[in-house]
Amino acid sequence: MKSLFLIAALSAGVIAAQSTDFTVEGLPVQVHGFASQAFLASDNNNYLTMPTSSGSFAFTDFGGNISVQLTPNFRVGAQIYDRNLGALGNWHPTLDWASGDYRFKDWLGIRAGKVKTVLGLYNDTQDLESLHTWALLPQSMYPLDLRSTTIAHIGGDFYGNIGLKRLGTLSYTAWAGLIQNDSQDGIAYGDHVATQGARSEGGDLRWNTPLSGFLAGVAYTVSAARVKGVDPLGLPYLGRTAKNETAEFFAQYLHGRWRLDVEYRRAYLAELLFDVYLPPSLTQDNRSIYGSASYRISKRVEVGAYYSRFYLDWADPHGDPANHIFDKVATIRLDLMNHWDVKIEGHFMHGFADLDAFRGFYRQDNPQGFKPDTNLLVIRTGIQF
Amino acid sequence: MRFIKLLFALLAVGTYIAADAQRGEIKIIANPNVNASEISRDDLDRIFLMTKTSLPGAPHLEPVLEKAGPVCDQFLKDYMGRTNAALTTYYRSLMFSGKASVPKSFNSDSEVTAYVAKTKGAIGYVGLSANVAAVKTLKVTE
Repeated sequence: MKSLFLIAALSAGVIAAQSTDFTVEGLPVQVHGFASQAFLASDNNNYLTMPTSSGSFAFTDFGGNISVQLTPNFRVGAQIYDRNLGALGNWHPTLDWASGDYRFKDWLGIRAGKVKTVLGLYNDTQDLESLHTWALLPQSMYPLDLRSTTIAHIGGDFYGNIGLKRLGTLSYTAWAGLIQNDSQDGIAYGDHVATQGARSEGGDLRWNTPLSGFLAGVAYTVSAARVKGVDPLGLPYLGRTAKNETAEFFAQYLHGRWRLDVEYRRAYLAELLFDVYLPPSLTQDNRSIYGSASYRISKRVEVGAYYSRFYLDWADPHGDPANHIFDKVATIRLDLMNHWDVKIEGHFMHGFADLDAFRGFYRQDNPQGFKPDTNLLVIRTGIQF
Repeated sequence: MRFIKLLFALLAVGTYIAADAQRGEIKIIANPNVNASEISRDDLDRIFLMTKTSLPGAPHLEPVLEKAGPVCDQFLKDYMGRTNAALTTYYRSLMFSGKASVPKSFNSDSEVTAYVAKTKGAIGYVGLSANVAAVKTLKVTE
């Protein structure tokens, strides 16, 4: 029922979308928002904690922000985000970001508060359906179930842009902070594990090359957390991170109506577990990669395709469907109005990477066992203003 | 062989001249307090991507947009190498991730000119026929 209300709100929003700039006491203020609703249907396995094999509308999200430019160099703002995605989110609103941002020079600025984490091409904008060609971003890199593990940190960023004259521009972000626990994400749903918040540091360096539209970058993060969980015997256990590193390489080329992206990520996790049943340590060497291409045919129509690969543990057999998810995707995006789009997307997946992957496929949603192939239709519509 | 080389050279020169002539179809304007008479293409691109916020003689710059239309299309084609949809997506990604506010945009040359004239550090673009008496016109260098 909530979904129907949201659809109505979406429709109303499309009509009501107006300019959102105004001044208060002479200070420029901007208010913006977004919302989306999706329908998912699959043939074999249930996906993303929804009963997709019989079709599901249980995919809704929305958010809104306000920002004020206090001085030419100092801006403050905040954004609220909420979602209900099958068993994830459950309409628990979160403070998405809330920060003060002071730019001393082009090459040095500081953001502090709760800050969206810059990591690769789309980590900090992954919730914004309207910014992407796709109904679902490549789940190897941007899993909806694990959104909260990378999306933002409470702490601060140093950032800046350095012009290299004929060699282009370097942009950097260095950050440190605490990643908050999310009791409504895929880890909590799939493993009944609760982290106690992870201390994390990282950086992102990107080069806007002299070749117009071509960007290349690297990113790196380390984090440490303590976890509480329940083992298969139903006994509580404790754990802590021994090593948790993520390294990423990415490139993007924009040329006319074309957009080409490629990203590769290695995430290595080693955990120490304190339990009578579980082994004393756990390691996981995730590898994710995708390549995508999209082309805007006209003002109202865009088409695209991507191929995404995820390996749960690089040390395990790569061909095992329980150790990988390969996803071939084709999308058509229709921009019905400037503020309203609809996407129709086909996913052709092989593999399910079930154990501790938290990437769409959960045993409790598929009690009959997993089948190796999943074909998925996603129709998603969204507005923003 | 010499004839073919000559043909290519003429084509290259012709293409450059045609592109340069097209670039002349819009003007880059700035608030009179911006202490510059010219601006490089690279700086212009970075100012409108909001990765550069100052120039020598202009401690704070504010890009101002004209909404979708022939003037906007010409500006994007000549100086940004992006479509209007791509630039809009770029601004929204900054705004929704808390990195920046969206630049102000106006419906017509006269509205852009009026805003640039009254706003310190403002820089924008207008059509060739726009009345730019109240603002400064910047020459774009390579």
